[in-house]
Amino acid sequence: MFFRMLRGAMFRQKGKMLMIAFTILLGASLATAMLNVMMDVGDKVNQELKTYGANITVVPKESSIISELYDVEDSDSTQSAHLLESELGNIKTIFWAFNIVDFTPFIDTKVTLSNGEETKLVGTWFNHHLELPTGETLDTGIANLRTWWDVSQGGWIDEQKNGFDKSAMIGSALAKKENIKVGDAIEVKTKNSKETLIVTGIYDAGGDEDDYIYTSLAPAQRLANCEGLLSSIEVSALTTPDNELARKAAKNPEALSVSQYETWYCTAYVSSICYQIQEVITDSVASPVRQVAESEGSIMEKTELLMILITIFSLIGAALGISNLVTASVMERSNEIGLMKAIGAKDGSILGVVLTEIMITAVIGGVAGYFAGYGFAQIIGWSVFGSAIDMKPMVIPIVAVAIIAVTLAGSIPAIRMLLRLRPAEVLHGR
Amino acid sequence: MKKQNMFFRMITASLLRRRSRMVVALLAIMVGATILSGLVTIYYDVPRQMGEQFRNYGANMIFVPSGSAEGIKSTDVDSALTYIDKDNIVGVAPYRYETVMVNERPVIAAGTDLDGANATSPYWYVTGQWPQENGQLLIGKDIAELYGVGEGDTMSVTYVPASDTETSDENTKEKGTTVEFTVSGTLDTGGSEENYIFMSISDIEKLTGEKKSYDMVELSISAGHDELESYVDKISGDVPSVSARLVKRVTQSETTVLSKLQALVLLVTVVVLLLTMICVATTMTAVVTERRKEIGLRKALGASNKSIIREFMGEGMMLGGVGGFLGSFLGFLFAQLVSMNVFNSSITFQPLLIPVTLVASVGVTALACLLPVRSATEVDPALVLKGE
Repeated sequence: MFFRMLRGAMFRQKGKMLMIAFTILLGASLATAMLNVMMDVGDKVNQELKTYGANITVVPKESSIISELYDVEDSDSTQSAHLLESELGNIKTIFWAFNIVDFTPFIDTKVTLSNGEETKLVGTWFNHHLELPTGETLDTGIANLRTWWDVSQGGWIDEQKNGFDKSAMIGSALAKKENIKVGDAIEVKTKNSKETLIVTGIYDAGGDEDDYIYTSLAPAQRLANCEGLLSSIEVSALTTPDNELARKAAKNPEALSVSQYETWYCTAYVSSICYQIQEVITDSVASPVRQVAESEGSIMEKTELLMILITIFSLIGAALGISNLVTASVMERSNEIGLMKAIGAKDGSILGVVLTEIMITAVIGGVAGYFAGYGFAQIIGWSVFGSAIDMKPMVIPIVAVAIIAVTLAGSIPAIRMLLRLRPAEVLHGR
Repeated sequence: MKKQNMFFRMITASLLRRRSRMVVALLAIMVGATILSGLVTIYYDVPRQMGEQFRNYGANMIFVPSGSAEGIKSTDVDSALTYIDKDNIVGVAPYRYETVMVNERPVIAAGTDLDGANATSPYWYVTGQWPQENGQLLIGKDIAELYGVGEGDTMSVTYVPASDTETSDENTKEKGTTVEFTVSGTLDTGGSEENYIFMSISDIEKLTGEKKSYDMVELSISAGHDELESYVDKISGDVPSVSARLVKRVTQSETTVLSKLQALVLLVTVVVLLLTMICVATTMTAVVTERRKEIGLRKALGASNKSIIREFMGEGMMLGGVGGFLGSFLGFLFAQLVSMNVFNSSITFQPLLIPVTLVASVGVTALACLLPVRSATEVDPALVLKGE
């Protein structure tokens, strides 16, 4: 009897039930899409903020104090401390290796151009292809870390092409001063050696770098007489915004208690990633670039908070919408409930029939809504960030519980109100 | 006149009589309108508020002396600043660099407007105090390590004029001027600033004994890329001794990231609005469908289809108007709440949004009423009244 009534109700009022299912579908899809986008927005924005360049620089221990005083002291470059090129791959073996997005080595030296003019030459990776001991591959270099460079003439040096180690990119200011064009050969020399490089690109960086020459690592190391050595490494890592613990740890990791240390070490704070890089690169000092690291944190926090509030708001809206409709649809069934009571149905069984009906509708709407929400989330992900939104399985139970709670909250008070009415009055109409 | 009176009386009576159901409908419309006005307000305000956050990345424009000029005079800075909208200037920090001696070692000293530097470079991480008065120094982390000094220590800084070092080698007793400073804090930036010492402009003038022009000026301006470029063109063209440049790294990246964030909020707003509007429409449809009997009765009593539709639409639009009006204020409150929580600043009220919200909610409710009323009026009254 229960099932016959149920089936009857479901099919007889197809239109009405469809409408409820549709509204629940909308609410569920809204909740699914918003929750997923909210949970993923931090990672996505973090990726976007990588356009600001590296947030960690690694320099040799000794030079971290006097590096800027080179201009004044003009020390012999072979004398001062350097990092080892052979250890570069180690950066991708640290605990937070997965969060290291890009890293690029640098070796810089003063060179003399053929007309006697002095300038700075920097050897680096452009789009280096790296095979890691773990079997992974990584394409990294300053093409990723200097996204703001405007290569106005020519193009980036392509390390996949032959002869890249005879190429150079020069800054726009230097090109203008020395009247160098793309395709020209420039001769640079130091007291150690001499190289002839072909200019393949002229860039506008909007800073000091406009006066420099960039070339690949090998010729720069020969010029500086530092084979296999590096003067600095820039690392771009995805980090968690700093908190009190991170600030305390940044000062002195030894001051932490064991459990605090564990938490700190296993969280992607910029300070813990720096610490881990120092562990794998001999005699190095890794320090956060405050300009990038601090700002990143605050922008990510704000964006996440903004999305959380918008999500909560739209969820409340959806919940009100659903429970509203459910209430309205239950109220309109006063006649039916009155009739059931009149022919002797118990309050409990009426409640059971009506609730089961609505619950079945809610489940159908909710399941369909989850998939619709999946679609919405992906639309947002692809059109804004150009990548898929990571669907968290955690969202499914949250949405399910929310839908059931909202439907119950919408229907039970209405049913109870109707049960309190007298059947005779209801059937008579008012 | 009388007819219109009757119309309103019927509408209000019908709304009041069916209080509970109308409350349901009104609530639905209000929620929709709140979401509409709240999200749109946030969407309009986010670029401005987020733009302010992006000023954390530091200066986005610098003035350097143009070609022939030795330095930038402070009067030139003032005249260049007149080209920039005052409200958009977050901070201005002029810098003057001198090589000074501390313990017989050369160190670069930067004289600046310290408050301005604080505003242009909010990411500077200072251990100790930011210098408050003259005679106080802010020293880079590397300098602090090199000399083993910290907050509260004194540091004597010697300035040897460039001409003295060449001409008066034998005159070793004359070693320039020495001034004692108190270190108020150490600076951690992860950049070259860690090798400098910072002092106020008047201190560096006292130390060097001369008033010189600035070597460069850093500016932090909250404006979009195009606006900044127009400032650069105007200043470089009109102020002869100043050459303004954009800090590409900051401006370029800001444009990329900010446009993504704006697109995100826009898309979220559109999706949420679309779903909410459909939700409101279904609720209204349910409320109207429930009154098929009433429609049948009226038809049986001889009401024309047109008058029934008009009455129902009037009812719906009245609800839409009231709901939209309440919702537009609630939405502003919500947007304000979000803004206070996220950005710690209040949101600008968009008066234009009230009519927009009103029109949208009236439109949606009218549309949502129209369809079920139409289908109800097409049915034979006898069938409707009989039930089913």
